[in-house]
Amino acid sequence: MPASTMQPNLDQLAGLTGVRAGALLRWQATGWPDRRAEQWRFTRLSRVEKMDLRPAEMAAKQPAAVAASLPDNAVILSFSNGVLDMAGLAALPGGVTASLLSDNDAALAALAELVPAAHPISNLSLAAMTTGLHLDIAGTVEVPIILVFTGDDNGVSAHPVISVRLAHGASAVMAEWHQSSVGLSAPLMGIVVGDKGRLDYAKVQQESSASAHLAATGLKLGEGSVFEGFQISAGGQLARLETHIVLSGENADCTLSAIYLGRDKQHHDITTNMNHAKGHCLSNQIIRGVLDDSARGVFQGKVHVAPDAQKTDGQQMSRALLLSRKAEADAKPELEIYADDVLCAHGATVGELDDTQLFYLTSRGIDRKTARSMLITAFLDDAIDSITHPALADMLRPVSTAWMNATPNAGDL
Amino acid sequence: MAPLLEIRDLHASVGDTPILKGINLTINAGEIHAIMGPNGSGKSTMSYVLAGREGYEVTGGDILMNGVSMLEMEADERARAGMFLAFQYPVELPGVGGMSFLRAAVNARRIEAGEDEVDQLEFVKLVRAKATHLGINDDMLKRAVNVGFSGGEKKRYEILQMALLEPVLSVLDETDSGLDVDALKIVSDGVNLLRDPQRSMLVITHYQRLLNHIVPDYVHILAGGKIRRSGGKELAFEVEESGYAGIDDAA
Repeated sequence: MPASTMQPNLDQLAGLTGVRAGALLRWQATGWPDRRAEQWRFTRLSRVEKMDLRPAEMAAKQPAAVAASLPDNAVILSFSNGVLDMAGLAALPGGVTASLLSDNDAALAALAELVPAAHPISNLSLAAMTTGLHLDIAGTVEVPIILVFTGDDNGVSAHPVISVRLAHGASAVMAEWHQSSVGLSAPLMGIVVGDKGRLDYAKVQQESSASAHLAATGLKLGEGSVFEGFQISAGGQLARLETHIVLSGENADCTLSAIYLGRDKQHHDITTNMNHAKGHCLSNQIIRGVLDDSARGVFQGKVHVAPDAQKTDGQQMSRALLLSRKAEADAKPELEIYADDVLCAHGATVGELDDTQLFYLTSRGIDRKTARSMLITAFLDDAIDSITHPALADMLRPVSTAWMNATPNAGDL
Repeated sequence: MAPLLEIRDLHASVGDTPILKGINLTINAGEIHAIMGPNGSGKSTMSYVLAGREGYEVTGGDILMNGVSMLEMEADERARAGMFLAFQYPVELPGVGGMSFLRAAVNARRIEAGEDEVDQLEFVKLVRAKATHLGINDDMLKRAVNVGFSGGEKKRYEILQMALLEPVLSVLDETDSGLDVDALKIVSDGVNLLRDPQRSMLVITHYQRLLNHIVPDYVHILAGGKIRRSGGKELAFEVEESGYAGIDDAA
C-alpha cells in the first residue's frame, strides 16, 4: 500500500461490504491521484495529502448558519461535516422520496457507475461515505431543494454521497451550497435525469479559506431531457469541481456553465467531461474565470462525440481574466469527435482588463475600483446570464458581487 | 480670480517619445477655444494628457484648473472636478448597460459634491429628455455602452454624457471626425446648448468645418508639440485656405 493512502486515515472503515468495499480496495490500490496522471497535471493535491484527516463521524455541535440568499420557498437539507440532519427530510415536497444509500447497495452501484471507476476521490468518498442520500423525484417539483453543506472541524474530511434520480418526465430545481470549514470536502453526486425530464441545477462552492473541496459529479441525461447547470467556485484553498456527463438519449440538452473567482493563493479547477453518446444532442458550456493575487485557475473540458452521435451540437468557451501579474490560468479544451456530421466548437482565452475601457470609465468620474468591478461584472454576466431559472439566478448573483466587493486591493493589472 | 484652465509650459511624452514640447494656454470661464493642427501634431495627446490617461507622462510644466494643479489627480478625480473628454473614438463596453453606466457617472459626481444619488425614475426621465434632443432613442439607451452604435451615434452619445455631467471644462477630441453633415449639426447643436458663462470648452479638430457650427472665441494652431499661432476665429479660415504647411515651416 502506498504511504499516501494512509490519509485520510481509513482504519475506522474495517468491515465494509458491497460497493463500498470495492471502492475501498480501489482507493487503497491507487491512493491519491498519481502525479503523472494527465487529468491531474494542473491540480496537484500535495497540500491535501499532507493534511492529517479522518472521515467525519458526526455533525458539528453547533449547526452553522449560512448567510446566503437562498430562495424563500426552498426546502433545505443540511449536511454538517458531511453528515445529513435527517430531520430535514420531513420537509421534502410531494414527489420526492428519500432513502439512505447505506441500505440500498443497488442505488449506490448505479451512482458509482456515473463516475470513472479509476477516479480516486470518488472511490475515497464511496468508501468513507459520511452520509449516503438517495432522492427519487417524480412529477413536477417546483420547490427548490437546496443541499447546504457546513462543518466546523478542520481535522475531518466530509464525504456526502448523494444520488438523485428524476423519473420519466419529472422536473426539479436543486442546488448545492458548500460553506464549511472541514479539512476536505469531497461530495460525490450522481444525477440521472429520465427521458423528457428537466433539472435546473446550481452549485456554489464557498468553503472556508483553509479547506479543500474535491467534488465529483456524474450526470446522465435521458432522451429529450434538459439539464441546466451552473457552478460558482469562489471559496477554499484548493477546489476541483469535476463533472462527467453522458448524453445517453437523443435530443438531450445540457448546459453546464461555470465561473471561478480566485484570490490570494487559491486554486480553482473546473473539469468537465461531456460525452455525446447519442445523436441530436446539444451541449453548451460557458466558463469564465477571474483571478487576482497569486490565484490559479484551471479549466479542463473534454467533449467526446461517439461514432453514431450524428447531428451533435457541442459548444464550449472558456475565458479567464487575470487581475494580477502573479495570477495564472490554464485551459485544456479537448474535442474527440468520432461522428462526421457534427457542429462542435471550443475556444479558450486568457486576458486582462482593457486599459482603454478602464480609462473610458474613469474619465467619466467613476473611481478605478468601481470601474474595474463594472468590467468584471460584465465579463462574468456573459456566463451568469445563461441561468434561466430566476430563483437560482438570484441565489448565484450575490456570490460574485460579494466576491468583488471583498477585493482588498484592486490588483495590479 | 484664476483662469478656468491654465496650461503652463506643458511637456509630455508617450513612452520615450516627447510629444508636447512646451504648451502655454489660458482659457477663461465661458470661453471656447479651438486647437487645430495637422496629423501627428500632438492634438490627441494633449486631450489625453488633460484627461489624465495612464501612459501619457507629463515631463514638465503644469495644468491648473481654477488655480489647482491637476497633475497629481487621477482621471476619475479630474472628471469629478469638472473635466470631460469627448473621445475621438468612443469605447465599446460589452455587457455594461448604458443606463447603469450613465447613472454611475452622474452619481460619482454628485457624491463628490456631497449631494444625494439620483433618483432612479427621475434619472430615466432626465436622460430621455436630453437624449431626444440628440436623436438618441430608447433602444440605444438600453444597449450596452457604445455597442452596436454607428460612428455618428457614438459621437451623439458622448454629447449626451457631457450634457448629463455638466462639466466645467469640456475637451472635444475630433468630435467631427466620421460625421456626415446632418450628424455634425445635431452634435454641434447639442454642444452649443451647453455654452454657459461658467463653462469652457476646448475643441480639437483637424478641419475648420466644425468651427462653423461651434464658433470659437480663440483658435490655436498646434504643430510639432507647440502652439505656433493663436488668433480669433478667422485664423481657422486662413488654415483652411493655405493648409498647415506654412505653419510647420515657421516652426
